[in-house]
Amino acid sequence: MSTPGPVAVEVQGVSLGYGGAPVLDRVSFSAPTGTTVSVLGPNGGGKTTLFRALVGELSPIAGSLAARGRPAYVAQTERTRLDFPVSALDVALMGSLAGGRWWLPARGSDRRGARSALGRVGLGAEANTRFGELSGGQRQRVLIARALVQDAEVLLLDEPLTGVDRASAEHIEELFGELRSEGRTLLVSTHDMDSARRCDLVLCLNRRQVAFGAPGEVLGRETLEQTYGSEIVMLDEPGQPARAIAVGHHHHH
Amino acid sequence: MLCVTLNPPPSPLELLELRPVAFALAELGLLAVAGGLLGAWVVLRRLAFFTHAAGTATFPGLVVAEAAAFSPRIAALAVALGFAGGVERAGRRGRDPGDVATALLLVAALAGGAVLASDVFESGAAVDRLLFGTAVGLDGGDLLLSGAACLLAVGACLAFGRAWTATGFDPDGVPSLGVPASRSDLLLLITIAVAVVAALPAVGALLVSSIFVVPAAIARLFSKSVGALVRTAIFVAGAQGALGLYLALWLDVPPGPAVSVLGATGYAACALVRGIRLREPSVRRVETAA
Repeated sequence: MSTPGPVAVEVQGVSLGYGGAPVLDRVSFSAPTGTTVSVLGPNGGGKTTLFRALVGELSPIAGSLAARGRPAYVAQTERTRLDFPVSALDVALMGSLAGGRWWLPARGSDRRGARSALGRVGLGAEANTRFGELSGGQRQRVLIARALVQDAEVLLLDEPLTGVDRASAEHIEELFGELRSEGRTLLVSTHDMDSARRCDLVLCLNRRQVAFGAPGEVLGRETLEQTYGSEIVMLDEPGQPARAIAVGHHHHH
Repeated sequence: MLCVTLNPPPSPLELLELRPVAFALAELGLLAVAGGLLGAWVVLRRLAFFTHAAGTATFPGLVVAEAAAFSPRIAALAVALGFAGGVERAGRRGRDPGDVATALLLVAALAGGAVLASDVFESGAAVDRLLFGTAVGLDGGDLLLSGAACLLAVGACLAFGRAWTATGFDPDGVPSLGVPASRSDLLLLITIAVAVVAALPAVGALLVSSIFVVPAAIARLFSKSVGALVRTAIFVAGAQGALGLYLALWLDVPPGPAVSVLGATGYAACALVRGIRLREPSVRRVETAA
């Protein structure tokens, strides 16, 4: 991990819930600017709840959280309406709503920005293709392009590599590297241990904060078992770092 | 055996010389613009049942207004806006009012309206007028209200169309874009409610879907962008209104039901054509393989 920059996301003693008991309790961590934080946890463990709080959709029951600018949320593509008659360009252009002009039509400069963002994610040629006709990986890249148009300093990516083909996954991970080098901070929820290992920091959640730190310190057998419980299969090999497969992550909370 | 004798078709130009027919055509034209524009989002945002219910909910209000010699437009507007506010409030609290609640409201509105109407009106014709409208027989006030609703729809769609599309496309992602989804959704529901009230004199409380749902549903079958959907829906609504009015005058039937039947038949035909078109590539593949 490179020298930490100023803090981009600061979460202190946060508890979150939906009117009843907290669904995520006592979370404290900080993410320096230009880092990638992998957020691991089982279904219902509180990953999406944390993201909702960071975009301001949910107020904390206790504690405080802050992020640089307005974070962009990149949803799982199957959570979007694939039957909508919108092109890749239309979706990228939605990022310009974040400029505070959501009640006005898009300007020419917004369109140019959206085309440029699509070019950056390698989809300049697909600008006029209907979003629902793109592959899962391409759709994910379009949603990242929308976040680029939004020009967010913090990106919250909800399982961006789930259901994505290998070529797209590699393209997306390359893109993550570029975004990080631009000083953007990424919080990436995932079930993929290998992907988590490549991040700067790992946050493990299971209705509370189980662990936070560098992958080498956090991704041990004990932490993973506390994080996933029965949803994990350990693949231990002598002399190797703890390896595991998270299972049963079909549901989304 | 049922025998139907058709009169020779009247000349459209001669019909237009009749002031009530010209008024009816102007009214249906204004409603086509409002219905095509808003209908696009009614269909995309799955608000067809809400739109139908907003129209039906006004029925008891219209009856009470008639009995109290009160403005039916204001009574209908109050009921429709109250309904829109209730739906938005339920949605904001995370409690989808749901199809069952909306269906119960529909039944209650119709039953309540019918009970009240049995005391208020001496003939069934007045009840028919409230339920199915009477496009031929409108006054300047009706046209004025439809013109205002049309302007409201144009302005609202220009201003908020992008937010309505983004909210419908990715409800989870919209909060991070800074779009106040509940406020923009309330504006959509209010605009629909106002336009529905403007359509009541022409198509009645029961047939508003023929203006705000059917044309956009037909357009949705063939449109690949929101812009194309809006343009096609306005064209379909206009054509359906003009042709339905002409058929009503020729066949001597009420215009509201004629427009509705024409729209429903058009939708069935278009859905059939689209179904055939969607099957064509697979048929060709099978033929190639053989």
